Amino acid sequence: MSTTPATAPVPQKALFVGLAGLALTALGVAVSADRHGPVLAYLVGVSYWTAIAIGMLLMVMIHHIVDASWSVVLRRQWEHGLSAFKWLFILFLPLLVLAWVKPGFVWPWMDLMHPMHGHGTVGSDVLYLKKAAFLNLHMFTGMTLAFFAIWVWLSARLRKASFAQDADGSAAWTSMNRKSSAFGLPLAALSLTFAAIYWMKSLEYHWFSTMYGVWFFANCVRGALCSGVVIMVWLYRRGDFKGILNSNHFHSIGQLMLAFTVFWAYVTFSQYFLIWNANVPEETFWYNLRELNHDGSTNQWWYVGLALLFGHFVVPFLALLSYRFKVTHHIIRRIAFWVLAVILLDLCYNILPALKDEHGDSLNFFSLNLLWVITSVIGVGGVCIWAYLRSFPTTKLIPIRDPRISECLTHHE
Amino acid sequence: MAASSYGLIATFPTAPDLYHAAEKVRDAGYKNWDCITPFPVHGLDKAMGLRRSIVPRISLAGGITGFCTGMTMIWWTGAYDYPLTVGGKPLFSPMFAFPVSYELTILFTAFATIGGMFFLNGLPMHYHPVLKYDQIKRGMDDTFFIVIEARDPRFNLANTRALLQQAGGTEIKELEA
Repeated sequence: MSTTPATAPVPQKALFVGLAGLALTALGVAVSADRHGPVLAYLVGVSYWTAIAIGMLLMVMIHHIVDASWSVVLRRQWEHGLSAFKWLFILFLPLLVLAWVKPGFVWPWMDLMHPMHGHGTVGSDVLYLKKAAFLNLHMFTGMTLAFFAIWVWLSARLRKASFAQDADGSAAWTSMNRKSSAFGLPLAALSLTFAAIYWMKSLEYHWFSTMYGVWFFANCVRGALCSGVVIMVWLYRRGDFKGILNSNHFHSIGQLMLAFTVFWAYVTFSQYFLIWNANVPEETFWYNLRELNHDGSTNQWWYVGLALLFGHFVVPFLALLSYRFKVTHHIIRRIAFWVLAVILLDLCYNILPALKDEHGDSLNFFSLNLLWVITSVIGVGGVCIWAYLRSFPTTKLIPIRDPRISECLTHHE
Repeated sequence: MAASSYGLIATFPTAPDLYHAAEKVRDAGYKNWDCITPFPVHGLDKAMGLRRSIVPRISLAGGITGFCTGMTMIWWTGAYDYPLTVGGKPLFSPMFAFPVSYELTILFTAFATIGGMFFLNGLPMHYHPVLKYDQIKRGMDDTFFIVIEARDPRFNLANTRALLQQAGGTEIKELEA
């Protein structure tokens, strides 16, 4: 058992891959006739990794607030993941600048002269005017800056206290993190909800759903748990976590993955069911865009929706019921990769149908835009993984002086 | 005496002693035996060679039954036995049958879990032969016991006693059935 990384991984490779992905995305914007597609694909990429980072922030804070012991070892890896927030902010800046340079290009309500499909402009739309105090460029900018300020600041506080404890072993750092989590959790909950509303939901500003923030939260946490599993197996196979992790750690995180699979399904179904049952046009149009063309034929998003139902719920739910699957490293890792991929699909499902043709139908799922989604995800992901790997060798491998560390190392269900 | 014997009980002073003795009894191939400890000993299930409980499978069966019951009930009442259009909705749709099916899934899973557990562990049990052992109360305080039942196919009074002795057990007593 070692307490410092045996060999620090080389982070530059990730950065190189990331920059290549970003360059390809930029190329996509440059060569596309309709630049809207690659830009929204980039929004998917940034939202995806931001969701995972928010999930890690939540997991660290929930760990502290409930005084968990089993996840002490894993918490350190999530803390390294939190170092990505400042880079995510920088990667979000192009979208923010674009909002000022070309208002209405990404989020249509930013341009009062933006034509509505079939009738008038945004400026003459009563449904916009009623929401104008919330949906305007200044609010959007201020709120987005505030979201990242909250996330970066909370991450810095949690990381500093945890890393400082390695040196002096004072339990005061644990109390400090508990306090940070007590006010950090509501702050994070509010900021992630509003971020989901501004960045994704407002792409269709007529639409409303009180479940939206919770839906995003479920994806955030699932992303963090799955990344946690991937990191656990990676470090175990590298040898760092040999003698540190036992099968109960995998069982515990697998149980949380199962719980949040059910939670995601509960929330997502509730949103769909309430809208289906009430059958009000102001709400149903959002799902109609994802099921039908204007002539009544089924579009590709209908199949994406079904893929989400089975891929994001049924398959991982049934797989995670099994104890053996949860504690077998290569199987739980496969489930984690699967869910990480489907989270991306879920974000595509929520963002990309905002791209429409002249009839107001959603553009196809299988299109060149999917390529730009992949380059964006690789681009932003490369930078995030680089940030994680850069932080990785700066501390002990595990929080050796955490008051709960021995409970974690002997974790038993 | 042998006909009315429940089995043999042996005393162990510490958890590690019991743990290693359990491994020996397991390796000797005994099936009908148990450990009595004042607190849960982590890893003892492995040392005893116990497999994971099958309660989760009973729970799953309960859950599937509940889900199907919910779906069938909504379809039966709304679309088959007394077809009634409500709110312009189809006579049957898995959408509105889902909340009920979901609730019944949880309810039946809970029943199956609790029922399956009681079925498998035989509780409530008002009498157990080890209760006649005059030292048994120490098993709730500071002493550890291993009980090997006479109905185990490998049970043999002399050999089993020797095994327990060799595993470090003291005060090996025969229990009255």
